[in-house]
Amino acid sequence: MNVYTGKKTREGAAETPGPGRAVGSDASALAPVKLELDGVRKSFGSKRKPLPVIDGASLQVREGEFVSLIGPSGSGKSTLFHLIGGLLRPDDGEIRLDGRIINGERGHIGYMPQQPALFPWRTIEENVVLDREVSGAPRRESLEEARRWMARAGLSGFEQAYPHTLSGGMQQRAAFVRALLSPHGLMCLDEPFSALDAFTRSEMQAWLLDIWEETRRSVLFVTHHIEEALLLSDAIYVLSGRPSSVLRRIEVPFPRPRREEIAESPEFLALRRELTGLMKEEQRKNRGKRSE
Amino acid sequence: MSPQTTLNRWFRSFWPPFVAVLLFIGLWESAVRMFHIETWILPSPSVIAQEASRSAGSLWDHTLSTLQLTLIGFAIGSAVGIIVACALHLVPLLKSALYPLLILSQNVPTIALAPLLMIWFGFGLLPKIIVITLVCFFPVAVSAMDGFAQTDRTMLNYMRMIGANRLQIFRKLEFPHALPSLFSGLRIAATYSVMGAVIAEWIGAQKGIGYYMILQKSAFRTDRIFVAIAIIVALSLLLFLLVTLIEKLVIRGGRRSGQEEGGETR
Repeated sequence: MNVYTGKKTREGAAETPGPGRAVGSDASALAPVKLELDGVRKSFGSKRKPLPVIDGASLQVREGEFVSLIGPSGSGKSTLFHLIGGLLRPDDGEIRLDGRIINGERGHIGYMPQQPALFPWRTIEENVVLDREVSGAPRRESLEEARRWMARAGLSGFEQAYPHTLSGGMQQRAAFVRALLSPHGLMCLDEPFSALDAFTRSEMQAWLLDIWEETRRSVLFVTHHIEEALLLSDAIYVLSGRPSSVLRRIEVPFPRPRREEIAESPEFLALRRELTGLMKEEQRKNRGKRSE
Repeated sequence: MSPQTTLNRWFRSFWPPFVAVLLFIGLWESAVRMFHIETWILPSPSVIAQEASRSAGSLWDHTLSTLQLTLIGFAIGSAVGIIVACALHLVPLLKSALYPLLILSQNVPTIALAPLLMIWFGFGLLPKIIVITLVCFFPVAVSAMDGFAQTDRTMLNYMRMIGANRLQIFRKLEFPHALPSLFSGLRIAATYSVMGAVIAEWIGAQKGIGYYMILQKSAFRTDRIFVAIAIIVALSLLLFLLVTLIEKLVIRGGRRSGQEEGGETR
């Protein structure tokens, strides 16, 4: 598997800058841009009465960067994913992957949906290699790779099990391994932990942090959970309410490898406060707009 | 699940209908005896059983003939049903054009169609197979199409996001997803096909349970008609069980039709 690992300078960002200020670590400034959205617009509804959902979204995910998207509910996060995945075509703007425009093109991303969406008639192992199968990768190689990563995800012994015999957390881990094994360079995770209980969720966050720091894939992660975003990401984009645009990009300065304990540091709390404030404001604006 | 509990559960779900059937037969027997009902109107179960054992030899031939016809018709009818369902699902234009016609076609009674088919295709195997195909293919096609249409949205979305093409989505997701639904259609078709075979034999045949029934009707042998009915029921049950057995072999991952989709998280 093509796992990006050339990112050693990042750990050097030990000096903790003031909270909330946009601080580009020079490591991420050097890495090439993996995914770029440039002024993307999308409306639904009829031509005469369009209903704008995405109104000028611009963002960047660099090679080996973990980027989160947060925004109030109904801010079109899923629509944004469907645009990147090529299920929808933007009305305006460009989506670039490795510098190439991929507007409306499918099959360029690895994907982990909100529900694990494992196929019940396939064993876990067969599920995990599905993306590779669809891309036409040789089966035996995929299975070997799958077994290795399943062991890493604490799923050894369950290779031949069917999904319904697994707990929710294990199903999500299998869904993550499936996305990880995808031959595509960018992983899109769509609120993957939102259906889990709080305890399993925090366990899964720690697990994801660990496994991501090992693989350093480019990740775009959608969540509405502020602490989760802060714990995992290198950068966070805050979306406005509908029609949504990117309000700002916030760099998360904590060094890697991270541990969950950073959640108690004053910098973390300050960032959280700032993000919460932003989100609350947006939610309020959104409500105001709706009641008009 | 241990075999012990499986057996227990099977036994528990088996005995109430078994007792009900026994009671019904007992009631029938005593009613016929008590009210001295003539055998040509309503024979008692014991008389029917005696007749069955007496004419077992000739009945065996008729039964085999009907079974053969049923199996051929069921196989062809189901295959046609599955092919039609796939074609209509994969070509939406075809579906919107033909689906209403398909529903409408079911309002034409098979029994009315059968004589026509005899006129057109003679008294050979072909018109009989057409009759069975006509009754079989509809439940199969409709249940398969329903199964395709009810494909899990999140799974479908996933397949699209990772860039699966139409055919991959159909082969890897929609078809296996529709299997439980398809099998419930096949079970219905299995019992229908026995009925179709008997009707086809009524119209024109030299052999088979349907032919036997027509003969015995003209002779007012009510007891033998009851024997024929018992054989038809047994054949239907046999085919039903056959389909259920195949389903058990084909469908994996604990999601047979009529069963809850397993797992606490789903």
